[in-house]
Amino acid sequence: MENTTHFGFKDVATQDKQGMVRSVFDSVANKYDLMNDVLSFGAHRLWKHYTIATSNVKAGDKVLDIAGGTGDLARAFAMKVGDTGQVVLSDINAAMLGEGRKNLINRGVPGVAFVQLSGEQIPFSDNTFDCVSIAFGLRNVTDKDQCIGEMYRVLKPGGCLLILEFSKTDIALLEKFYDFYSFNVMPQLGKIIANDEESYQYLAESIRKHPDQETLKQMVLDAGFGTCEYHNLSGGIVALHKGIKV
Amino acid sequence: MQSMILQSALNHLLEAHQIDIRPLDGKTVYFSLQDLPIAVNFICTNDRIFVTTDATINADVDIKLKSNVFLKLIQGEDLTELLRQDKIMIHGDVKTAQLLVDLLQQVEFDFEEALSKFTGDIVAHQVGKIAKKFKSSDNSLASIKDKITNFLITPKRFH
Repeated sequence: MENTTHFGFKDVATQDKQGMVRSVFDSVANKYDLMNDVLSFGAHRLWKHYTIATSNVKAGDKVLDIAGGTGDLARAFAMKVGDTGQVVLSDINAAMLGEGRKNLINRGVPGVAFVQLSGEQIPFSDNTFDCVSIAFGLRNVTDKDQCIGEMYRVLKPGGCLLILEFSKTDIALLEKFYDFYSFNVMPQLGKIIANDEESYQYLAESIRKHPDQETLKQMVLDAGFGTCEYHNLSGGIVALHKGIKV
Repeated sequence: MQSMILQSALNHLLEAHQIDIRPLDGKTVYFSLQDLPIAVNFICTNDRIFVTTDATINADVDIKLKSNVFLKLIQGEDLTELLRQDKIMIHGDVKTAQLLVDLLQQVEFDFEEALSKFTGDIVAHQVGKIAKKFKSSDNSLASIKDKITNFLITPKRFH
């Protein structure tokens, strides 16, 4: 069983995971933003706002947003870097990237480049970006260490890595509610709104399989980052890890 | 949250005053206020300052002082003099500490402007007005106490 990985609670062949994740996002792309608002009661906007506020990105910076999907972060980064900077919105999934491009064009956000790429093999030179972000994407990546290593490589010295991802809450009561909500309510909402129960079952399972805060922090440090700290948001349901390439 | 607010405010001020932080590039300064729950690392890199609470970082210099001494420092008081008076403790590279102090002294703190980034202009202005009222009074608490006493004794005067 050397060449297996998890896809939610299932063990699957490593080479199959990427395709299975692609099917999930092909299926949910056009309802992705709506589902985020419904499932998180709008809290994802606050989590992303906090991420941007923490980024320390300024005018003239180069920013790469990996698994950027529908472009929420890229839009906010574009405002920060201004005309002299550059934002690259990337996603491995063409349907999601298409939604992102549509959103940014509709909102009149100029100057964002769109690149379809895998976080495990980032097609940019070493030391290119001031900031690299990945929001709610890392848990879907097959080889997370490889992805963090690639993000480290393309960051400039002094660059900032931001990983916003579901994590583990240590509040017992919240955990009980969250478990019930994730496995009973979320898939049903997925069925009603996006006509896709399975993808939202996968979402709940993939969150439980994702490394907890301390484990992910150690992974970031192991990749070479000089420092990493995390901030728990909404009681640890989500955590923002921030690494600096010192 | 405190590190995020501090980081945003500090970098905003550095940018607004066009202060060159290159002399501090690559340096990490551990900074703690002994009478307040504030202990942070300032990581100076890539032309900006990151503020982190990560306790595992090896800082180039540790600075420990009380909040009133910090205020004196940013108002221009001499670092060497404060060191001589044992009002500030520095372990490590004193030159880096001096560079950070020089940098902070260049920043003209505009409390209202910094606060407005988070609260909006109106709230920041109101808070600023209240703060100025307190500042302008020699003994604000005594003054408030007097006013309350007067009100309780002769409430009609306040109508």
